[in-house]
Amino acid sequence: MYLSILKKDLKRKKTMNVVLLMFIILAVMFVASGLNNVMTVINGTDYYLDKADIGDYVIITMGDDSTGNAAPILDKAECVKSYKIESSIFGSQDNVRMIDGTDTETKNITLFQSISDTKLKFFDVNNEPVTEIKQGEVMVAGDFIKNNDFKAGDYIRIKLGDVQLDLKIAGKVKDAFLGSRFMGNTRFLLNQSDYDKFMSDESIKAHYQGEIAYIETDDVSAVKNAISDIPGVAFDGTRDMLKMCYVMDMIVAFIVLILSICLIVVSFVVLRFSIGFTIAEEYREIGVMKAIGLKNRKIRGLYIVKYMIMSTVGGIIGLFASIPFGKMLLMSVSENMVLGNTAGILINIISTVGTMALILLFSYSCTGKVKKLTPIDAIRSGQTGERFRKKGFFRIGKTNAKPAVYMAVNDILSAPKRFMTVIISFFICTLFVLMLVNTVATMKSPNLITTFGTESDLYITDVDSAMTIKNTGNKEGVKKELKRISDEITAKGMPCEVSVDIQYKYKVTSNEKACSISCAQSVGIGTDEYEYSEGTAPKYKNEIAITPQVSEMLDAKIGDTVTIDFGTEKVDCVITAYFQTMNQMGELIRLSDEAPTDMSFVSVARQYQVDFTDNPSAEEIENRKERIQKLYDNLDVMTATEYCIDCVSVVPTMEAVQYLLLAITVIVVILVTILVERSFISDEHSQIAILKAIGFRSGTIIKWHTLRFGIAALAAAILAAIASIPMTELCISPIFGMMGANDIDFNIDPLQIFLIYPLVVFAVTIITACITSLYTKTIKTSEATNIE
Amino acid sequence: MSTVLTAKDLCKTYIVNKRQNNVLKNVNFSIDEGEMVAIMGPSGSGKSTLLYAVSGMDSITAGEVDFSGRNIAKMDEKKLAELRLDEMGFIFQQMYMLKNLTVLDNIILPSCQSKKIKETRKETVQRGEALMRKLNIIDIADNDITEVSGGQLQRACICRSMINNPKIIFADEPTGALNRSSSDEVMEELSKLNNDGTTIMLVTHDVKVAAKCTRVLYIVDGNIKGEYNISKCENASQIRERERVLNNWLMEMGW
Repeated sequence: MYLSILKKDLKRKKTMNVVLLMFIILAVMFVASGLNNVMTVINGTDYYLDKADIGDYVIITMGDDSTGNAAPILDKAECVKSYKIESSIFGSQDNVRMIDGTDTETKNITLFQSISDTKLKFFDVNNEPVTEIKQGEVMVAGDFIKNNDFKAGDYIRIKLGDVQLDLKIAGKVKDAFLGSRFMGNTRFLLNQSDYDKFMSDESIKAHYQGEIAYIETDDVSAVKNAISDIPGVAFDGTRDMLKMCYVMDMIVAFIVLILSICLIVVSFVVLRFSIGFTIAEEYREIGVMKAIGLKNRKIRGLYIVKYMIMSTVGGIIGLFASIPFGKMLLMSVSENMVLGNTAGILINIISTVGTMALILLFSYSCTGKVKKLTPIDAIRSGQTGERFRKKGFFRIGKTNAKPAVYMAVNDILSAPKRFMTVIISFFICTLFVLMLVNTVATMKSPNLITTFGTESDLYITDVDSAMTIKNTGNKEGVKKELKRISDEITAKGMPCEVSVDIQYKYKVTSNEKACSISCAQSVGIGTDEYEYSEGTAPKYKNEIAITPQVSEMLDAKIGDTVTIDFGTEKVDCVITAYFQTMNQMGELIRLSDEAPTDMSFVSVARQYQVDFTDNPSAEEIENRKERIQKLYDNLDVMTATEYCIDCVSVVPTMEAVQYLLLAITVIVVILVTILVERSFISDEHSQIAILKAIGFRSGTIIKWHTLRFGIAALAAAILAAIASIPMTELCISPIFGMMGANDIDFNIDPLQIFLIYPLVVFAVTIITACITSLYTKTIKTSEATNIE
Repeated sequence: MSTVLTAKDLCKTYIVNKRQNNVLKNVNFSIDEGEMVAIMGPSGSGKSTLLYAVSGMDSITAGEVDFSGRNIAKMDEKKLAELRLDEMGFIFQQMYMLKNLTVLDNIILPSCQSKKIKETRKETVQRGEALMRKLNIIDIADNDITEVSGGQLQRACICRSMINNPKIIFADEPTGALNRSSSDEVMEELSKLNNDGTTIMLVTHDVKVAAKCTRVLYIVDGNIKGEYNISKCENASQIRERERVLNNWLMEMGW
């Protein structure tokens, strides 16, 4: 009997069972791949950094005569267990061109190194160590090859000083230090003899050479203190900070995990509905089984066996599907990393077994109702006749709505629990998509600009600007340089003022703690033009503003005094304000205009900011952007929004994840709608037949069924849209916090949140429900006579 | 009196497992306005199939069904639905109604759907309540359908069948699921409706029910084997006599 009931169930509810199986497959697939990816990425960062032998602390020195300064200090420092130094030439986008002389796209400062001199381990696309590069060839780290549509075998032209070489691209290398999305520098690895040719140029040797030191230590704070005496430090960072640079890769993996959890919740909601529904439909059979003496355990077992079969089949398919799916999700991550996944398959198996066990536990709890029913209750189809709840407070006599509309609304109002499956699952999926939409919209908006600087009409990111600024000698020189640029632009009919925010590396001491910290000072922008979260803008030579991160590093608050060694003099500075920034992951000090900065300590001057004085329209600014691009032969002229996107750098990945989520939401919406609608049709078979018998057309019945789903979907989408605003702040703020911005003004696009996405969910639901409800056409009026 | 319904050479064939089953074989009959016709016969004789074939709820294999001058065999599904909604009423053995609607809302639902009825929703409600009052179930107007007895629910189904003022009511064993007292109540209401001029065609196994009709058609193996005409019922003593006579006739027919 067991087998025949089971066979009957599987056959009769084919569509429902297939959809349920799909949910189990999806849930297992997402849990297994999501958990695996998180484990791989979290452990993978350490695994990769260890494999690359990056050490505990990294510093970069660059600029005039910056070589040879680090070694003597590191030798003396007791906290340094060992260190490795490699020399490098620092350049820019202008140094690398296509073979025909046209521009290439590189990001940030570019580095040129000999493979023979590298101390960091590099890996090819197959994760094999790269130890040799032939003369005349070059291997490139980062996204340079992809962004410029190059392939192995293509040639590029590198010109440093007066030396120009055409080199064949031998392939891509994975760079643990500079290859992350946050660092994003392009490193070119050369054969020693080619490198020597470049170094034969004296100007390169004197001005563009620098060093990278990888330090092993047990005391990172002490190293920070020790290296604060090294001149020309352009960058220094701990291993933890470098790990944080892979935060976006981890975020993508975490999003997949959260998505998996959402899908499990949806799967369980659907499962609960489905099991409950199956049992409700079979009250009579259950009653008969009970009446003839079958024990509750046996009856429950019947249903559990079904879900065991389904979860086993779904689990096995989901497990196998999770492997390529996980790889696909990690594709963007593994492009830049060497990931260790020795326990990978085991995690997948454990996740699968866990999910299957959860499904079985859940089905066991859902079948609990079998125990409560007496045989006669069950035979009476669960109707005990003792239901006195007032129904139908929405009355057809009090509305002019058409019967189909009335019945749809009344069904939801009379039995809201029946629609909870639809509302909850649609709500969860839509909320998740909308949170990402809000995040991406924020990343693509000028809202973040204050976390990078001040808002201007245009930003010219010239990676060579740090060198240019250094060469101006002093602040007056910088002003002259800015005046020259603004005059050039103004002469072309675009009256403007040009400013620049310069970052210096200085040794800062507080409470006997000394660190080398980036300090920002602007030329052309008043310190009071920046936003501060607390306190007042630094005004005098001995006033500074700090970020919460620096406050923690130095153990100093507003009103405290810290000492900054400006090279020319040491100044005791009072902290007057807090501010937030995503520059340097939040590790930044803002100096007043009066601070005695020196150009030899410049580390970064990433962008010139252009403010037009004739208040042009947005369209005109766009037009001027193109003209300035042509004027300076530089494609990196950006509006505020574009500049934010460029700085955050993960917008394309987040957008891809957003669309992936939307696709998954659409799939969930389709599957849930099919499953629930087919269940409803099965439940309402007799009512549909009666309606048809008394003269209701199929079209009216389809409209009734479709509208119910439309209303439920719309309610879920609107609730999700409303909830997405606080939920985005709650869940996404910590992510920005990791990047340095603790208080983000999220950009909520009402059109997307309240119209486009709810409309997508609504439209998909309506279409699916309409197509599924076409099945009601097969119910004949004559079936009204065969009602059980 | 004009003829409401005429069946000419009506045939209905089912094919089950490649085997042809002729359920109705050249059935011919007609029903005049104001008649109350009972279809009787042994189980599987084709009573219900005949009812659904002539009411447009089921397709026919051959023949003609003329309803008020229109051949419903040639009508498409949309037209048939319209016809059933506006000009026919249905009562089934199972008192099936929409679960989420109150009794009154179930009753007036067909009227709200009908394009023929040109009245405000308030007037529809009033008509529904008047019908319920007439059938003595006004007290359950706002009740959930699970809160009322079978007899009350079947009377509600009669109200629903009446709401669009149909030309004919088709009833398939309307008392089949009821106890004797509820059955009597329901038949009393149907008789009253018939006395008011409503044409009724019903299928029954119950001689007591058939005795309240004006004509009985006896069907065996898809053919009308006999027809028994009775005058309109006047009082209770007449009923008992009619039941006896009808019973004798049915015995003759092989009942």
